Amino acid sequence: MRRNKWKKWVSLMTGLAMTAGLLAGCGGSSKPTLKVYSCGEYIDTSLLGEFEREYNCKVIYETFDSNESMYTKLQSGERYDVLVPSDYMIERLMKEDRLQPVDWTLLSNAEGLDAEILGKEFDPDNTYSVPYFYGTVGILYDTTVVDAADLEDGWELLRNTKYANDIYMYDSERDSFMIALKALGYSMNTTNTDEIDQAYQWLIEQRDTMKPVYAGDDVIDNMISGNKAMAVVYSGDAAYIMSENEDLEYFAPEEGTNVWQDAMVITSDCTEIQLAHDYINFMLDAEHAYANTVEVGYTSPVTEARSRAAQQDFAGISAYLPETTGENNEVFRYQEQNIREYFADLWTKVKASN
Amino acid sequence: MMKKKIGSILYITVCFLFLYLPILVTMVYSFNSSKSLTSFESFSLRWYENLFTSGEIMNAVYVSITIALLATAISTVLGTITAIGLSKSRRILKEIIINVNNIPIMNPDIVTAIGLMILFSSIKMEKGYLTMLLAHIAFCTPYVITSVYPKVRNMDPNLANAAMDLGATPMQALVKVILPMLKEGIYAGVLLAFTMSFDDFVISYFVTGNGVSNISIIVYNMTKRTNPTINALSTLVILVIVITLVTVNVIPLIIRRKRNPEDEFTDMNRSLKEEEA
Amino acid sequence: MRHFIRLIRPYIVWAVVMIIIPLLLIVLYSVTTGGNDLVNIQFTLNNFKKMTEPIYVAVFVKSFQLGLLSVGICLVIGYILAYLITIFSEKVQNLLILFVTIPMWINTLLRTYAWICLLSDNGIINSILGVFGMEPMSMMYTDFAVIIGLVSDLLPFMVIPIHTSLCKIDQSLLEASMDLGANRFQTFWRVTFKLSIPGVLNGIIMTFLLSISTFVIPKLLGGGQYMLIGNLIENQFISVGDWNFGSAISVILAFIILIAITSMKQIDKEEAEEE
Repeated sequence: MRRNKWKKWVSLMTGLAMTAGLLAGCGGSSKPTLKVYSCGEYIDTSLLGEFEREYNCKVIYETFDSNESMYTKLQSGERYDVLVPSDYMIERLMKEDRLQPVDWTLLSNAEGLDAEILGKEFDPDNTYSVPYFYGTVGILYDTTVVDAADLEDGWELLRNTKYANDIYMYDSERDSFMIALKALGYSMNTTNTDEIDQAYQWLIEQRDTMKPVYAGDDVIDNMISGNKAMAVVYSGDAAYIMSENEDLEYFAPEEGTNVWQDAMVITSDCTEIQLAHDYINFMLDAEHAYANTVEVGYTSPVTEARSRAAQQDFAGISAYLPETTGENNEVFRYQEQNIREYFADLWTKVKASN
Repeated sequence: MMKKKIGSILYITVCFLFLYLPILVTMVYSFNSSKSLTSFESFSLRWYENLFTSGEIMNAVYVSITIALLATAISTVLGTITAIGLSKSRRILKEIIINVNNIPIMNPDIVTAIGLMILFSSIKMEKGYLTMLLAHIAFCTPYVITSVYPKVRNMDPNLANAAMDLGATPMQALVKVILPMLKEGIYAGVLLAFTMSFDDFVISYFVTGNGVSNISIIVYNMTKRTNPTINALSTLVILVIVITLVTVNVIPLIIRRKRNPEDEFTDMNRSLKEEEA
Repeated sequence: MRHFIRLIRPYIVWAVVMIIIPLLLIVLYSVTTGGNDLVNIQFTLNNFKKMTEPIYVAVFVKSFQLGLLSVGICLVIGYILAYLITIFSEKVQNLLILFVTIPMWINTLLRTYAWICLLSDNGIINSILGVFGMEPMSMMYTDFAVIIGLVSDLLPFMVIPIHTSLCKIDQSLLEASMDLGANRFQTFWRVTFKLSIPGVLNGIIMTFLLSISTFVIPKLLGGGQYMLIGNLIENQFISVGDWNFGSAISVILAFIILIAITSMKQIDKEEAEEE
């Protein structure tokens, strides 16, 4: 009798928990579901609804704040259909067999892609990846504060003590080391620990003399309000910020920079393969690509969308059409685990040093 | 005496200004027509319109509220029956459970969050609503137990025995005799559990997945571009909370005033007795 | 009442699964390598050895300094506030305490955002200063901003327990003390303050726990270079992906806190025994 009583409690509680689970899972009925994992603020979200209606499906759209946190999520057992990571992360996912080849015959809108953007080193034949946005990393500066002559310094501008306490660095391990390595004249994909140590010293000295703020995406708001003289940003963010604040200008130093590309890939455990291709194709449509690029300010690889945005919405904004062909420019490549850990450790130290 | 009070009022006002300044700013800027969070341009309701049309935010509100309600309900039941059972357990078992129960309270949030995240990943449980709910129950229950248990200890055990001697089943004794005596403790536990769950960020952030996010996670993800829609949301949340809390706290005062003075006297006596105990 | 012993069973199962096992898993991760694959783990103490590097020790020291500083500020401001509240009639007190509680119900993150608007270089405070012709101050991304954010978040957790224990003090004790010739200050220090110590300790524990493990407030108000223990742990799990090292830091943090709280409770007990 009494035993039954607490069994009742337990069953009541499990019942409650199950209802909760059902409630959360409901609405799923029999519609196919596509799980997309992309960078935050990287899409005109109204397109998702449009896609759902057109293909009678449900899209679960999740966002990450960095490639590394995306990878951690995958590692913790999370499953997705379509991802939108960056070049080096795609190469890593390819090497770890986490992706499946893209069937280009299913992508009728692919011909709209700019051929210049295809075939980069991380995926030479675009077997696995379909470009989504691309750009460079550079310095966004306030023309009313920064002396045009100082731009000659290239990346060393970020260590010009005239602007101490007046800069934002970007809180990203690979981009920060890229700057230091390029400033020292090395390849940003170096595996030589001597060179990496020098780059570490460069960053530490910069921290001591310049007292930079390692900002995340809050840099966007801060630069729109003109809080500091300069910031390291992606060209796409620069385009958006410049469209809100006319005093700003963008430049990528001649010593070379990171020419990055974010691309759509299909995971190896994706089951809705047709739907995943439909999604990618949908995003390549010139209209949709235009909506995305205007919404977020990043440069579209779809020629038609890009030229329209450059003429209308981002007219006169240099950062929207970043120079990618400079001879010192590079694309981030996959790093072996020991090198990756070496960088991660040094980066934690840069940020924690005081 | 009067002078002294003015000083006190001044100090209290300054403290409240400090506590309420951020809340005030949020509310004012939810009516700003421009996106800027630093200069107020003109009055507008566009962010409220945005709020009700944004599926993402409404979903997060739904998740936050349902999780808080379910987690509060389940942890209150679990915590209360545990507290009752605890008072009758052997000393050693009691000590062990109380100490284990203190772990989530004393452990920093981030450690609890990581433990649960590792647990869910190692049993390959798909992260989402259910994992978030389980995690919330896990960190709310200890608070319920700590607020109910002292009341159980102060309770006269003979009352329940008497009820059962008089023919009540244990279930009846529990519901009709014991629970009413624990009312205050349970009420405190409910409030604490709901607050903890509704405001939680760290634990939810680590254990969620599959696109399930609560209000805190949405806010955290909106750092990239300022979005005053969030201000509109928090203004509404603030209003709801203030109205609920004020009614919950003021209505009993009004009711008490309406009752006859004799009741008040017995009330006072009862509370005096409680303090002595 | 014996009948109710069984009621404890569901929680025993629950506590083992949801409290003890996760803790053991963290400990297991902290003494192994091999990442997240539980199949090929290897025992090691390297994760703990790494923690002894000066740079990580410095992170711990800084976190504790900042935690103690904000707890200290909360204690001073909060004690005075709680004490002054007790001057008023019971009804007013209830209302005032209610108003101390309300901010706790409003999302911490939202309030932290509002502080960004207030403190940023072109923010509200600076524009007000500008109206009075004063130079704008740079407040964001400094210790000052982080402490402001922490104190405004933690203050209610300090005020409420102190107020509760102040309320419990029997007024006749104070009268007796005055009758026996103690002046106001002596009465306060020897009677009121002494009797409020349990509340003070509770407040200190609560605020210290919350301040030591936070990573959101320092990240938003202090910037990415503001590395505290919470940020270090978050970094290891979310960005670096080294769960083993992250777990080791968590274990050390939990251990230090355990010691701190046990010793605090010891003080509390000794005080109680002195009475």
